[in-house]
Amino acid sequence: MSYAHAVSIGIIIAVSSGGVRSLDVSIANLRKAFLSAGYITDEDVIITVFLSLKLGKPLLVEGAPGVGKTELAKVLSQVLEADLIRLQCYEGLDENKALYEWNYQRQLLKIQISKETACTEDLEQNLFSLEYLLERPLLKAIQADKQVVLLIDEVDKTDEEFEAFLFEVLSDFQVSVPELGTISARQIPVVILTSNNERELSDGLKRRCAYLYLDYPTVEREVAIIRAKIPTVGEKLSLEVARAVSLIRDSQEIKKKPSIAETLDWVRAILALDQDRLNLVVIEQTMAMLLKTKADLLSFNKNIGSGRLVEYARTEK
Amino acid sequence: MENYLEVNLVRFIHMLRYAGIRIGSGEVLDALNALSLLDLSDREAVRAGLKATLVKRSGEQQLFDKAFTLFFAPPEAKEKDYARHRQDQAQRRQLLAKATEELTFQGMPLKLSDSEKTVYSGMPEKDKEKLLDYIKKTAEGKNIEQHFQPILESVVKSSLAYWRKSLRNQLNLSPLPQTGDQELNALLASAVRNGGDYSPALLEEDMQNIADKDLPRAEALIRKLARQMVTRLARRYRQSKKRQQLDLRKTIRHNIRFGGTLLKLRYRSRRTQKPRLVLLCDVSGSMARYANFVLQFIYGINDVVSQIESFIFSEDLERVTEYFQHGDDFTSTMLEVINRSKEWGRGTNLGAALKNLRLKYPDLLTGHSILLIVSDTKTMALDETLQELSLIKRIVKDVVLLNTLPRGDWLSSKSVRSFQGVLRMFPCNTLSDLEKVIRQKIIIY
Repeated sequence: MSYAHAVSIGIIIAVSSGGVRSLDVSIANLRKAFLSAGYITDEDVIITVFLSLKLGKPLLVEGAPGVGKTELAKVLSQVLEADLIRLQCYEGLDENKALYEWNYQRQLLKIQISKETACTEDLEQNLFSLEYLLERPLLKAIQADKQVVLLIDEVDKTDEEFEAFLFEVLSDFQVSVPELGTISARQIPVVILTSNNERELSDGLKRRCAYLYLDYPTVEREVAIIRAKIPTVGEKLSLEVARAVSLIRDSQEIKKKPSIAETLDWVRAILALDQDRLNLVVIEQTMAMLLKTKADLLSFNKNIGSGRLVEYARTEK
Repeated sequence: MENYLEVNLVRFIHMLRYAGIRIGSGEVLDALNALSLLDLSDREAVRAGLKATLVKRSGEQQLFDKAFTLFFAPPEAKEKDYARHRQDQAQRRQLLAKATEELTFQGMPLKLSDSEKTVYSGMPEKDKEKLLDYIKKTAEGKNIEQHFQPILESVVKSSLAYWRKSLRNQLNLSPLPQTGDQELNALLASAVRNGGDYSPALLEEDMQNIADKDLPRAEALIRKLARQMVTRLARRYRQSKKRQQLDLRKTIRHNIRFGGTLLKLRYRSRRTQKPRLVLLCDVSGSMARYANFVLQFIYGINDVVSQIESFIFSEDLERVTEYFQHGDDFTSTMLEVINRSKEWGRGTNLGAALKNLRLKYPDLLTGHSILLIVSDTKTMALDETLQELSLIKRIVKDVVLLNTLPRGDWLSSKSVRSFQGVLRMFPCNTLSDLEKVIRQKIIIY
């Protein structure tokens, strides 16, 4: 097959499938795909993801740390069979780190070389070509041939100026590089923004997004998650753990609430000690898997205590 | 109105907006588009779809669920609500009419607002009679003429204001929703009745009038505000709109090793100095209830950063920073402060407190520190206070006063006007004021 032929086929495939690749987006399909990817979640989440894909809007996910916001993006990229490009935000993040930067070092080397080898080509034009452009996550997502999932993680950590710049990019999906001109997206990426709600995001950004608030899972949901992730766990233990964790999360005095990942670690720790039920001894031994600051451990002992935790976890509803 | 999808959606959005949820018209269109993609007979899908497109703040999620349940209720339940609303309305009108009839002065009705009349009808019968008796006696007094009415009115009003405070836990004083759509009014009224937290009023309510049942919600809100404020304070870098600036000197020095070729660039990074916050909170008698909230705010801040110095004052100054550093929970911290403090609930002398602050803690007041005062500005020795303030203002970076007097009363208060000449002042009478204080970045550094 000739090269040109292959390319034309590629184009036909891209055109014919339109929108999102490989998966025909419908609520039922998404539900099935999420389940087989091991991401157990509420119907709300599936509908919101469905709408954000269909309406072509970025999805803003908020919620406490450890409820599975980042995981949602990862699973979505898996479900859509798209690459995941991640932009981790932090205080002081700027366009150079997020969008693009010229590769100064390489440009300088080129100048040095051309000095010695009296070259005649138009050096300046070459220096500002794509070859010398360092793509950062945003540009990479825009330039990708195939649709990608762009995860902009912890967007509340950035400054407001960057947020404004961000929604400019997210509304047009094009970037202008002064030396090159405007680069438009070949494929509109699926964008997921996450926020820990440390700072109120601007109304402008929120208006452009579909919004999803992820809460800690209910006891039943958490049991399902535990059983899906750790198949060796017993039915009783998973229920007791889920109930115990929900009691701890409900306590006002605990500052850092245990995340889903920490719940799973706790179950693994209990299993490693060859226990199949919660009891006083095993709680004392393993509580550090769940609560990771001294203040929280102290206030757990003061306000809840292992005895009450076991009792609560074991009572039937 | 006809029962079209669009009409119903818009009415629902009205209801949400009334509850204080900000919804732009773009979002309304999104919601309509979303509905066109969903199975409308699937109630849960519709709920999730509207939620994803309309509600974009974590605190508003429950509010939305409540509104949704009410609005998309079965017709029978809605009809029942409507009937009850009409009944309530009628009852209310009757009560108001009765109050208007009873509260008269020499045959003329007193000029009172509807909410004042509601307070009157909620008073115990015995006290009602006392009040009426007082009015009657005044009216029958010698040489009492019609022009005496305004004076009597203001006496009655202040008595009712007292009752309003003591009845705040029993009466529902929030004004009835007026949307011009009877059925929607009924829905809103039933929303207000069913759940305390549906009332948007909590944010706008004068903090000293917040009913006890709303306290947990107010406290949670304050804690959240404090955390947001702290995040803002903890930022060290501030980005400018401009591209980063090259630091030439550093760049050249760094690149000497490459024979002077500028291989690695060094940028000038701006580092902002963290301010040192000194909080001064009025806990005198007139401020007691506000102080409870403000201290909660301090507690929330101290919880995250510990470089904040906090003081309380009434007639004299008292340092409370250490109480907040134990890491105890709020109730026990508060109890400790109140039990140990000598200043709680006395008169106010801001001048003396400031003077003591300046003399006893000179190292706290530097060019980097920002003095944040929470007070109602009602202080003894106003002139000395002003002098002391301008003295301190020369030392510190900024002095900001959060005033718990309602904004409307500022003009008539002499102390407010004279304070405004010396420092920046912001209202801090309701929780929404407190929220604005944080949003507007009044603390500039």
